This record gives sequence, C-alpha cells and structure tokens, in this order.
Amino acid sequence: MNEEFIHKWESQVKKGILELVVLNILNNRDYYGYELIEEIRNYTLIDIAEGTLYPLLIRLKESNLVLSEWVEQDSGIPRKYYSITMDGKTTLKELNIYWENLTRSIQKITTR
Amino acid sequence: MNKINFKSESAQGYYSDYIKRVSKCISTLADADRNELIMEINSHIFEGISREPAKNELEILVEVTGRLGVPEEFLKPLVARKKLDQAVRSFNPKHVFQAIILNLKNSILYSLFALLYLFLFTFVGLIISKIIFPSNTGLFISKGSFRALGYISPTDGLTEVLGYWFIPLSIIAAFLFYAFITLLLKVSRKT
Repeated sequence: MNEEFIHKWESQVKKGILELVVLNILNNRDYYGYELIEEIRNYTLIDIAEGTLYPLLIRLKESNLVLSEWVEQDSGIPRKYYSITMDGKTTLKELNIYWENLTRSIQKITTR
Repeated sequence: MNKINFKSESAQGYYSDYIKRVSKCISTLADADRNELIMEINSHIFEGISREPAKNELEILVEVTGRLGVPEEFLKPLVARKKLDQAVRSFNPKHVFQAIILNLKNSILYSLFALLYLFLFTFVGLIISKIIFPSNTGLFISKGSFRALGYISPTDGLTEVLGYWFIPLSIIAAFLFYAFITLLLKVSRKT
C-alpha cells in the first residue's frame, strides 16, 4: 500500500469537496466559523487544518454564495455568522446533482 | 479587535505571539481585509477555549491554535490571491510587484531549477570541445596555480594538466551536479 499516495489523494479530495460540505451545512441554518467546523466534524470524516476554512469562506463570500455578519456577544468577542444566499442555494442544488451523478458513476466502476 | 484575556501569563504570551504571526502574514492586505481576518481568527480561538473551561489555559490554547494550523501556511494562498485582486484593482505598482512576488514564488523557484538543469549541458559542450579542440579545453594552470577550467584561447603560458582525463572527470562532475540539484528539488518540494 502506498501511504504517501493515499495521503495526497485524500487531501486533494477533501479540498475539492469542502465547499460542497460547507454549503450543504449552511443550507440548514446560519453558523459561525468554529461551530461550522464542529458540524463538519460531526457529519464527515474530514479532518481539516481549521485555518483553511476561513480562506474558503472568504472565497464563497466573494462568489456571492454566502453572506456574513458580525454578531456582538456578551463575552465582548463577536461571532461572525455565515448564511447561504439565494444564489448559493441554486448553485448548491446544481452541485448536489453533479455530486450524486459522480458518486453513482464511481460506484458503477468500483462494484463492477 | 477585543483581545482575549488569560489568567496565565504564559497563555497570554502564547496567544499574543500567535496573533502577531497572523498579523505579520497578512500585513500586505488592505486594512479592512486584515481587520476582518484577525477578528475572525481571534473569535475562533475564543470559541475554542470556551468549549473546555476546565482545562489548563495554555494546554487548550496550544490545542486550538494547533488545530487552526500554521498561519504562514494556511494564510499564504489567501494572501497571494487577495494581493493579486488588490493589484489589478488599484493599478498601484507596489501592489502589483508584491502580488507578482507572492504568486510567482514557485514559478521563480522552478525557473531557477530549469536553469540549473540547463547548466548540465555545459558539461556536454566541454566534452565535445575537448574532442574538437583538445589543447584549448581542460584544466589550465600556470606556475603551479589554477588559471582556468573549460575552453580557453590562446593558451600562452598555460599548461593543461588533465589531458583526456578531462572527459571522464566532466562526466562524473555532471552526474554529481545532477544528483545535487535533484536532491535540492526534492527538498524544495517538501518545504
């Protein structure tokens, strides 16, 4: 077994699907960054360097797929909540269709 | 940004250092982007340590920042991209230059390796030159001290000391040089 190859491949797959995971989670309700990471961990086996999530969220925001808003807290340290936009929702629908088709076709190959 | 206050001095120092590192990594970004990102990282650290209030402050802080990652690594692609956006928006030569440096660091590195690999051909050239111009190519000395290595014309007062040994020695040198730059390439890919 080539562990180095597996590790590199896994990291590429993770990077590729992280946006899909984030958009799907935000499709249910608004989350702040730390909470979003906890949710990713709850739902998936994806173990990311948490810092990489923030550049990803900035990218999604620049693409108008998510919005963000600072919400003041009693602690004095505000939370930045992210929500999905209408454009994000329609884009996500397309992404999910693509993903389903992709996994179906991959399954066809692996179970042949 | 509201700083997080720790009871332990060591935790406070560790926290300040981490935030400083983040600030340094993103120092070239526009003020608004920089503040936004620092506040977000600060909020992340606060939420992380708030999850486990019973734990030792420093221990949990190291854990939370460890999971966040090395700022120099996770912020690098973002800074490079943001800088490029800023550069093409502002037309400011300073931003353009910074963006090019940030985005082309890898390209510059690989161009350098391309040059080093091309340099290998000089050994081939010298071997051919030795065959065509044997008395003008080689290792030249004069009065016991080194004068030149390669092709030289005229050779008045110089003595070529290697003869046709120059050819196998050039081949060995080329192999050693090749092994050295390939090793460098391997190291550069890991860092």
